Amino acid sequence: MTISWLQAIILGIFASLSSMPGMGGSSIGNYTLGRPLVGGLVCGLVLGNVQLGIACGVAMQLVYIALVTPGGTVSADVRAVSYIGIPLAMVAVQSQHLMATGVDAANLAKSMGTLVGTVGTVLFYGTATMNLIWQHMGWKYVDQGKFHKLYMVDWGLPWISHLLFSFLPTLIMTKLGASAVVALRNALPMDGIPMKTLFTVGSMLPCVGIAILLRQIVNKPIDFIPFLVGFTLAASLKLNLVSVAVVSLIFALLTYQLEMARSSHSGGPASPAAESNDASDEEDI
Amino acid sequence: MADERKKISKKTLTKAFHHWYYGHLTCFSQEHMQTFGYLTSMLPIVEELYDKPEDQKEAMTTYKAFFNTEPQLGSVIVGVTAGLEEAKANGDGVDGETINGMRAGLMGPIAGIGDSLIVGTLIPILLGIALGMSTGGSPVGAIFYIVVWNLIAYFGMHFLFFRGYQMGDRAVEFLVGKQGSAIRKAIGVVGAMVVGGVAATWVNVKTAFALKNAAGKTFLSLQTQLDNIYPGLLTVAFIFLCWWLMSKKKISAVNTMLLLVVIAFVGVLVGFFNPGLTY
Repeated sequence: MTISWLQAIILGIFASLSSMPGMGGSSIGNYTLGRPLVGGLVCGLVLGNVQLGIACGVAMQLVYIALVTPGGTVSADVRAVSYIGIPLAMVAVQSQHLMATGVDAANLAKSMGTLVGTVGTVLFYGTATMNLIWQHMGWKYVDQGKFHKLYMVDWGLPWISHLLFSFLPTLIMTKLGASAVVALRNALPMDGIPMKTLFTVGSMLPCVGIAILLRQIVNKPIDFIPFLVGFTLAASLKLNLVSVAVVSLIFALLTYQLEMARSSHSGGPASPAAESNDASDEEDI
Repeated sequence: MADERKKISKKTLTKAFHHWYYGHLTCFSQEHMQTFGYLTSMLPIVEELYDKPEDQKEAMTTYKAFFNTEPQLGSVIVGVTAGLEEAKANGDGVDGETINGMRAGLMGPIAGIGDSLIVGTLIPILLGIALGMSTGGSPVGAIFYIVVWNLIAYFGMHFLFFRGYQMGDRAVEFLVGKQGSAIRKAIGVVGAMVVGGVAATWVNVKTAFALKNAAGKTFLSLQTQLDNIYPGLLTVAFIFLCWWLMSKKKISAVNTMLLLVVIAFVGVLVGFFNPGLTY
């Protein structure tokens, strides 16, 4: 599989739309086109192998299931993951003759995509820094009372930042990277230590993604319980995710009613004292 | 009073909303973040409320202040400001400083709630369900996510913006008040359980460690033993390890990943991990 210039150009445009801060806006750009699952669909359509694209997208999505960017700090760049990482992973999977939907293909995709995504944070800082130029112009327009120029500053000029930091890197990386990936295949045998390590890391990387999410929800060890119950439902009882979600609704309902009852008793937001009382109640049960 | 009360037209409000919906982050920098998105969103409103250029300029100056929040849930703040700007134009004793005080006070809490509720819970739940539908390379899950997420995002933000305009800061009370906090905790339970399901279904850390007898036949496979104790034990252990490193040891996500590379490398060397690859 090779990537043509036209295909690389289309991927470059999607990279410009999907990044954080991208030209598609957050909801459509970052949170839709930037998600690796959606990126997998787009790359699959562009490169002419939807099944493989989705399979790589699914694998990458797990690593980045909780890509929260609090206060604009990023640990990975979505445009690089979805529109450089996935196409290169697709080429790699094909050149290694792996089954598209197999575990090995997924692990290879995760390792490659994560590497590209981490290095890609450079693109995020590049775009954001270059936008300072347009913002500087924006302040002048506001001071001069030329308010309508603000639309150009907010919606038009950042395209120049993206030309340099989204479009061109994607174009070059996907075009040249594809042959590099094939060369890599010949250099590193599959049963060697480097490849074994790469695949093993691939299977572990989603743990980081899940842990980032848990960091949002879990403050004390007891908060792990809902997570473990969900894990058990799927791992031991083999329920699918929709079923897990439905089962979780009953616990959500109980939590809601408990919280409401607690706040109407104490007559205000739960105080620390009330919380520690409840904690000891739970232990009695 | 001779003057009739100024009121922002529905059309202008919708325009302001669309400016925010699209442009809140397009011109992002670390220094000003969403400030320019805010300016473009308030511009149609300011132009409708004030006729004189100097009044317009005075009003726009308010929104030059730094702004950053979770932009989707943050629609409510923009809506509240639209209402406050209208009150200010009618001389209701609201000034630019009041508006900015309100904005600065709300953007922190809304960012916290939005990050954990929308980015940390809603999106992972939708993606988790979509991943299940895309098993085997089917595009159905991706299409499901595109449709459902965008409907929720557009209409949710639309609702929050207009709710903010109509109710003022009472709209925010709903989010941060008693009922809001109870709903958040309830959704958190759904989120945690679905994430558990996602981990169990999709994450699979396995060991190849086995003891063999003289004839080369395996008589003890560690993975089988672990599965008999609790299916997915090794996966859970690795997730706990990552969580502990990042939240208790304050190690960054990138460094945690690098540590995994080291663990994998050593594991492969000693034969604990072996993906079993062949051509």
